[in-house]
Amino acid sequence: MNQFWRLLWKETRELLRPRYLLPILMIPIMFIALGQGIGGIEDGVDDQPSIGILNEDDGEYGDLVNASLSQNTSVVYYADSGDPASAIETVSEAGGDALIVIPDGFSERIRQRTAGSVGVHSVVRSLSLSGITSSAQIDGQIQRAGTVLTLNVTGTTPAMLSPIRPEYTTYLEERTLENTSPGALSGSFATQFIFIPVVIMFVIIFSGQMVINSMGAEKENKTLETLLTMPVKRSTIVAAKLIGSASIGLLGAALYTVSIYYYQSSFTDGAASAALSLGVVDYAIVGVSLFLSLVGVLALALILGVFAGDRQGAQMLLFPISILAIVPMFATMFTDVAQLSLPIRAILLAIPFTHPAIAPKRLLLNDTTMVFGGIVYEAIFAAAMIWLAIRVFNSDRLITGSSGRIGQWLSRLQQ
Amino acid sequence: MAESAVTVSELEKRYGDVQALRGVSFSVEPGEIYGLVGPNGAGKSTTLRTLATLLTVGGGDVSVFGADVESEPNEVRKRIRYLPEDAGSYDNLTGRQYLAFVADFYGGDPDALVERGIEIADLADRIESKTSEYSKGMTRKLLLASTIMTEPDLAILDEPTSGLDVENARAIRDIIKQFPGANRSVLLSSHNMLEVEYLCDRIGLLNEGEIVAEGPPREIIDRYDAENLEEAFLEAVA
Repeated sequence: MNQFWRLLWKETRELLRPRYLLPILMIPIMFIALGQGIGGIEDGVDDQPSIGILNEDDGEYGDLVNASLSQNTSVVYYADSGDPASAIETVSEAGGDALIVIPDGFSERIRQRTAGSVGVHSVVRSLSLSGITSSAQIDGQIQRAGTVLTLNVTGTTPAMLSPIRPEYTTYLEERTLENTSPGALSGSFATQFIFIPVVIMFVIIFSGQMVINSMGAEKENKTLETLLTMPVKRSTIVAAKLIGSASIGLLGAALYTVSIYYYQSSFTDGAASAALSLGVVDYAIVGVSLFLSLVGVLALALILGVFAGDRQGAQMLLFPISILAIVPMFATMFTDVAQLSLPIRAILLAIPFTHPAIAPKRLLLNDTTMVFGGIVYEAIFAAAMIWLAIRVFNSDRLITGSSGRIGQWLSRLQQ
Repeated sequence: MAESAVTVSELEKRYGDVQALRGVSFSVEPGEIYGLVGPNGAGKSTTLRTLATLLTVGGGDVSVFGADVESEPNEVRKRIRYLPEDAGSYDNLTGRQYLAFVADFYGGDPDALVERGIEIADLADRIESKTSEYSKGMTRKLLLASTIMTEPDLAILDEPTSGLDVENARAIRDIIKQFPGANRSVLLSSHNMLEVEYLCDRIGLLNEGEIVAEGPPREIIDRYDAENLEEAFLEAVA
């Protein structure tokens, strides 16, 4: 094994310890558990509700409502007379969620072209999301029975119940989207432009955390000085730390991505509108942007890690990187960078992590200038950070932890 | 004449407003144990760290076996092993794994180096335990073993017995005493006068960044007409 692989193995082994892995694993497990819980509720929505029917009406429209309900629900109790209060107890004991009471004279009111009322006696077993969804299901079945009645009474066709069909054309900057409503656009936006920035944020924060932890552990275990006097080039040590941390950081980010995708897909049907979608080349460009961003953040974190006295100190130093990753994420979610005022746009674009976050949206709008400009900027930033990291590794700061003039200013400020 | 193991000439170092070293000069010859002796803050660790290529040279010239520490740091690192004062090991590794990790960076047969390291460390079965479970003395023995198992031309040891109990300190001293050979030297620092008197062939008394006296311990004691090295040091800095 050559020196680089030996160091890389050491870094990976160090970072794969439970103290680092457990927090990474806990959050994806939490997301998956949440997704399963919500998925379970939605599965419940698809199930037929169990109801009881008390049909006191002896006319044809009462029978029609009864037939519609019987066809689309699981009827656990039926009677044509009785006390609703005692009937609901029987329904509840049989596992039913509600008793529908069709009162006497219901058909007569419909014949007179007035609305007929039906009583809905619901049993809410738990004050929770799943406990309340059954009520919405029963309302849906009553609406359905109402439609059947309308068709029967008026002799109209289903199309006439909804006689206007909008055909959408949506204009988005210079693009014209046929057969796409703003709502469909919103669905597409949610899956592609919110998800990607969140993933990018995780990649940046995790990788940064790993490299800072690595430096913090070296300082805390007091192993750095020994390592630096071994016959290994400093650039090899820097490369092993960057690549080792990036590997674990990417693993963590992949776990988060899968778990968030799973969590998000429990809300949506996963087949969001394809009104706007990125092609393979677009994704490759976003990938390049993200890679350069990652290299930059790792080198920056390594530089910050030099000033960490221990692991705790290292965590504190991660804070500025986290902020730099979170700001572009929110900016991309809630605004369009291109529409912001010049000073705010300049500040956002100066943050290297903004560029991969905004790249998908810009590519969809064919704004390649901003994307490629961003990639060039990120490449310069990454090269500068690596150069600085190697310089810091070759300087006294690695041993003394001195933050130079900035440290002196801060000390004077404290005094 | 054989090439000096270490040549330090007019070495200066400043940390901000503090002048840590003020023109330190000395040399270490092959086969010699040389000690830098002085109180805390005298500049011992700064000198050793500069020789170990950890700190930059503020002024003057520093070379190890003819290689300049500033312009040829990798050449220097090939010839030395450095044991920092307060060093630790990777606590997720066992003693044996740590020795293997270090041995892999040096030429030759890594397995043979590890076996030599195990013999020097003399930790018996505990060599298979995680180093996080080691006492300070055990860790120091392991680190010293990892330092000299590779048989470096120059072993730089910063306060090798600092903070150890009598038994462990003695074991470490015995290991150091046996280390030098015809081409192997030791440069160590200590503020324990008895220790350096026992270990070193020559010493340099360092005070406030300057060498105030240099020579074999016995000669320095005689020079100041003192009873021991401690008294000689106090006379030298008076």
